[in-house]
Amino acid sequence: MARVNNWQLGREMSYWYPESRPQKQFAAVFDTNKCIACQTCTLACKTTWTSGKGQEYMLWNNVETKPYGFYPLKWDLNLLEMLDGQQWSERDGKPVYEGSTIFESAPAGERVLGWRPESEDYAYPNVGEDDCAGGVNGGASQEVPHQMAWFYYLARICNHCTYPACLASCPRGSIYKRPEDGIVLVDQGRCRGYQECVRGCPYKKVFFNPMTSTSEKCIACFPKIEQGIQPQCFENCIGKIRMAGFLNTPDKAEADNPLDYLVHIKKVALPLFPQFGLEPNVYYIPPIHVPTSFTRQMFGPGVDKAVEVYRNAPNDQDLTSLLGLFGSSEKIMRKWKRVGDKAIGMDENGKELVNVPFKEPVHIRPAFDKIYQITRTNCP
Amino acid sequence: MRYITIAIVGSMIFLLSCHKAQVPTAEVNVAQVKEITLDPNSSAWDPVSLHVSKLILQDLVEPRLMEPSTSEVQVKAMTDGNQIAVRLEWMDESQSDLPGPRHFIDGCALQLPAKIDVNVPAPQMGETGKTVEISYWRADWQAIVEGRADTINSLYPNATVDHYPAEAKSLENNPQAQNEAAARYAPARSLGNRREGPREQPVEDLIAEGPSTLSPAPNAVSKGKGIRTSNGWAVVITRPIPAGFSAAVPSQIAFAVWEGSHTEVGARKMRTGWVPLILK
Repeated sequence: MARVNNWQLGREMSYWYPESRPQKQFAAVFDTNKCIACQTCTLACKTTWTSGKGQEYMLWNNVETKPYGFYPLKWDLNLLEMLDGQQWSERDGKPVYEGSTIFESAPAGERVLGWRPESEDYAYPNVGEDDCAGGVNGGASQEVPHQMAWFYYLARICNHCTYPACLASCPRGSIYKRPEDGIVLVDQGRCRGYQECVRGCPYKKVFFNPMTSTSEKCIACFPKIEQGIQPQCFENCIGKIRMAGFLNTPDKAEADNPLDYLVHIKKVALPLFPQFGLEPNVYYIPPIHVPTSFTRQMFGPGVDKAVEVYRNAPNDQDLTSLLGLFGSSEKIMRKWKRVGDKAIGMDENGKELVNVPFKEPVHIRPAFDKIYQITRTNCP
Repeated sequence: MRYITIAIVGSMIFLLSCHKAQVPTAEVNVAQVKEITLDPNSSAWDPVSLHVSKLILQDLVEPRLMEPSTSEVQVKAMTDGNQIAVRLEWMDESQSDLPGPRHFIDGCALQLPAKIDVNVPAPQMGETGKTVEISYWRADWQAIVEGRADTINSLYPNATVDHYPAEAKSLENNPQAQNEAAARYAPARSLGNRREGPREQPVEDLIAEGPSTLSPAPNAVSKGKGIRTSNGWAVVITRPIPAGFSAAVPSQIAFAVWEGSHTEVGARKMRTGWVPLILK
């Protein structure tokens, strides 16, 4: 085991291999507050990559309802039960994880702390859909404001982690992290289907294909990334909840990098279960209507601040404008800026890719149209 | 007279039982025969001397096997001067030959040094510069060779599938387009990594120079056949006799067994060290 720096934990940790960060790291921000669980992302991925024999059950992208949705069943709860003491403390005003990661908790003979889903665990991909926490007592749904019954949608892909557990778990070295963009791939020519990666990935985003006896996973649509285009699940997102890009480490954060701005500067987007220790690279703007006693375990100790920042977005023109760039272009926006009431998305050379007004202009049409001499009506 | 008869019958039973219960040898003695057999049930195996290898945990490299399962493997070997046939038999109450998530496959393997030398490779899959050759048999491959269909329903009988792009109506008269469409969704097969799917032999030829270096051998030279016994598996693997192997020049052989129901796969296996391989 080597000692590596995991900035999400605020400390060093043990990992199977020495620290080796890519030249740039593929990353993403998902705004959970905008997701409507339409599953268009799921289908965009499914039809593109997993329509073959043995891939029937695979969803490299899925959207589950929290707290009762899981794919596979209990993917998070099983590991949370196994992982002792997930306490955070604070040093110099920064959170520090005091518990053990899945690498530091690896039992004797294992590379990581993990578990293996069975076929049945994949059989209910949308279990718990729209099930809310707590009960809705008689008539309560008609009352405003509602009782504190909540749920939210969690869209999930591979996190293309800085310290992938799948990669650490593979005894054959069949999984690699691309140095050019940090995308984590299973070498389909070398994999022998031991399923150690399936066991090791805490997010359960590696899937065993029984018809090829190899394990397969999200490839971040790397053929598109290589052309500067966002992956299928991003481009097809109806709710425009996603933004793909490249993320720097906090010490090298650049304010004109959209992801750096959201993750490092505004700290409004947070990693999924940072305590697992993988430094995952998909970041979530947490749901603002959910008790942070729940989301704190899922997104870490920064969740209260993130909710506060997001709630204040109407008073924060920069943040508002950047959120408006989500889903505005198929191109990867390496840079951004706000000019007046417009957000400008740019490529890495500063060339404009898209500009989006972050306040929609209001048009008031008179009831009677003088030009056409007709009275407008609101048609149902 | 009655006591004499009982004594004679008793003696015969004793002698017959002695004939069945062979005394195992400490090494694998390779019988020289006119014709080797691939059939684990063949009577040609009866007179061949028996070696019983005690299996030990693979507990040197992660991931390790922490709980022992199969305790021993019974080994017999014969040669016709060109090919060597090795028969392995072990107990495994549950038949595991369906791949799937958390479903692992029963299997066995034999390992030989690539070159006969006084300095043998490390028994655990060789070492750098000292290659080992491995013949690996798997129960699901046996099922495929015996006719298991290359469909998801052969693994999950109740599965229903709406549509595979490769089976689109627009492609039904174009086998090449169908194959190309299927290959797009089966990258391992496209790369020639045939872990599953149609195959001619239930055995795979591999080489290694230490743990995590396992790779396909340049040529497929092994054949095999495995059958289910009343309480386990009996498998015969044939392959070319090691170069230079003779009565005067012995070699080494090692074995490994995987019990699928015990989640044994890859490095999680029961294994032996080197066992002397001697031509009788």
